[in-house]
Amino acid sequence: MHFIAIVLGGIIGILVGFLGIGGGVVLVPAMVYVLHFGQHTAQGTSLLMQLPPLGLGALLVYWKRKEVDVAAGILCALGILLGGYFGSVLAIGTASRNLRGYFGLFEMLAAALLWQRHRAKRSAEAQRG
Amino acid sequence: MGSRYLRWAAILVVACVVGVAGGMFGLGGGVLLVPLLVLLFAFDQHKAQGTSLIALVPPTGLLGFLNYAHAHEVAWTFGFLLMPGVFLGGFLGSWLAQKLSPDRMRVTFAALLFLIGAAQAIAAWWK
Repeated sequence: MHFIAIVLGGIIGILVGFLGIGGGVVLVPAMVYVLHFGQHTAQGTSLLMQLPPLGLGALLVYWKRKEVDVAAGILCALGILLGGYFGSVLAIGTASRNLRGYFGLFEMLAAALLWQRHRAKRSAEAQRG
Repeated sequence: MGSRYLRWAAILVVACVVGVAGGMFGLGGGVLLVPLLVLLFAFDQHKAQGTSLIALVPPTGLLGFLNYAHAHEVAWTFGFLLMPGVFLGGFLGSWLAQKLSPDRMRVTFAALLFLIGAAQAIAAWWK
């Protein structure tokens, strides 16, 4: 169990740096399906994992390349902090089974958004010739 | 000048929506924030990822996390053991992202994410 946590952390870290995401989107299903955590516990543990600035090492690399919009970043942090409170209240009041289903729908939506970006870029490249 | 403040207000509103989803699903929100910065605010992909990473430096999940902790829905030991791996893996991943074009990786990841999501929704409601 402890060994799994350390290895799983490393895999998720690579995704964090590569895609600029928090990692919970992979961590939560991994905890539910591989380790049979309850949906609520998996989500609470995912939030615990993200409290320290674990993306700092990754951020450094982006910072050196000037690929960071600081003002937008601060606004996003503020919005996520406030929104996170209300989201967690919603989650605690939702039955585990339904929450798992909603999580699945959310992942499908997030996947569609990521995919769409790729198609948009391709058509822009095609227009440029 | 005015349009810049309007843009900042719009980013704040979008971030609040991302935060609600983050608290609801136990996520940092980057997975939603990165595509939205690109699609709605015309960020370049690398810049969106860097901005998402700086937004996740402060403990933005704190208010949400406290609600889960209060409801006893946190596996403490497991959560702490994940941290060193994520931190070190983050260096490797960001280095890779600057070396390779992350486009193909992102599409693979999107496809994988879609399958995980579909499996989870089906398992929750039709089994």
